Amino acid sequence: MPGERAALIWGVVATILVVVSTIGVFLVAPEDADQGVIQRIFYFHVAIAIASLVAFAVSCVAGILYLRTRSARWDDVGEASIRIGLLFSVLVVITGSIWAKASWGTWWVWTDPRLVTYLIVVLIYAAYFVLRSSAEDDRRMRYSAIYAIAGFASVPLSFYSVRVAESFVHPVVFTGSGANMPGSMLIWFVVSQAAMIALFIALLEVDLVGRRSERALRRLALRLENA
Amino acid sequence: MSGGSQYVVAAYAVIWFLVLAYVVVLGARTARVGRQVEAITRMLDRREGREGDDGGGGAD
Repeated sequence: MPGERAALIWGVVATILVVVSTIGVFLVAPEDADQGVIQRIFYFHVAIAIASLVAFAVSCVAGILYLRTRSARWDDVGEASIRIGLLFSVLVVITGSIWAKASWGTWWVWTDPRLVTYLIVVLIYAAYFVLRSSAEDDRRMRYSAIYAIAGFASVPLSFYSVRVAESFVHPVVFTGSGANMPGSMLIWFVVSQAAMIALFIALLEVDLVGRRSERALRRLALRLENA
Repeated sequence: MSGGSQYVVAAYAVIWFLVLAYVVVLGARTARVGRQVEAITRMLDRREGREGDDGGGGAD
């Protein structure tokens, strides 16, 4: 089946990239002169954060495509993307808190717009599953698609909050003028980013294969019972 | 460990633990689908066996 093959290929690509990026981050990338070893959290923390926003963008596109086609396939893509995006978001919050404790001496800063707006994004997407469980069949898919599209409005809010805020403690590495890091670090960030995007696609493909199989099995079981 | 390396280890341990846990959950679902396939296969085998017995009796 093409879905299973894609899941296998992306699984292999993600595994290779994750291993290469882990080796690069810990053994090859230079140590930051300012933050020292704790700066190495940056590579996966930021890469996972961007991958989570990509996952939410995919769910938004899937929501639009569902409303246009009414195909359950796009509902599957939307739900799986948000589930993976939420997993990644939780990882971003946890690794960010660990980094904050090491760097700022505190687990969380409520006055920082980047942290607070990102937490709001996480809560908005967590509420998606509450909405899904409150409706059935076509109505559930329709509500979920609309919520995924509306929820995506919170993503630019988080992304631009740190840029428009007057005071913050969260560093901004990528600005309009480029990346504020040397090329020897940037290359390993790019590899880490590729690894996290590949991991997202691999998890999405595996999830979709499982959903398709479950749906096919349910149809088969129903036919057998009725035969 | 010194210089904050325990924080780096903790951050990466959390990442790999949660990703692995998610993969295990997906694997468990795949295993459940596999068990359902086996159940349906058994159901089909039983049905074919019954139809075979009925067909055999009718021919005699």
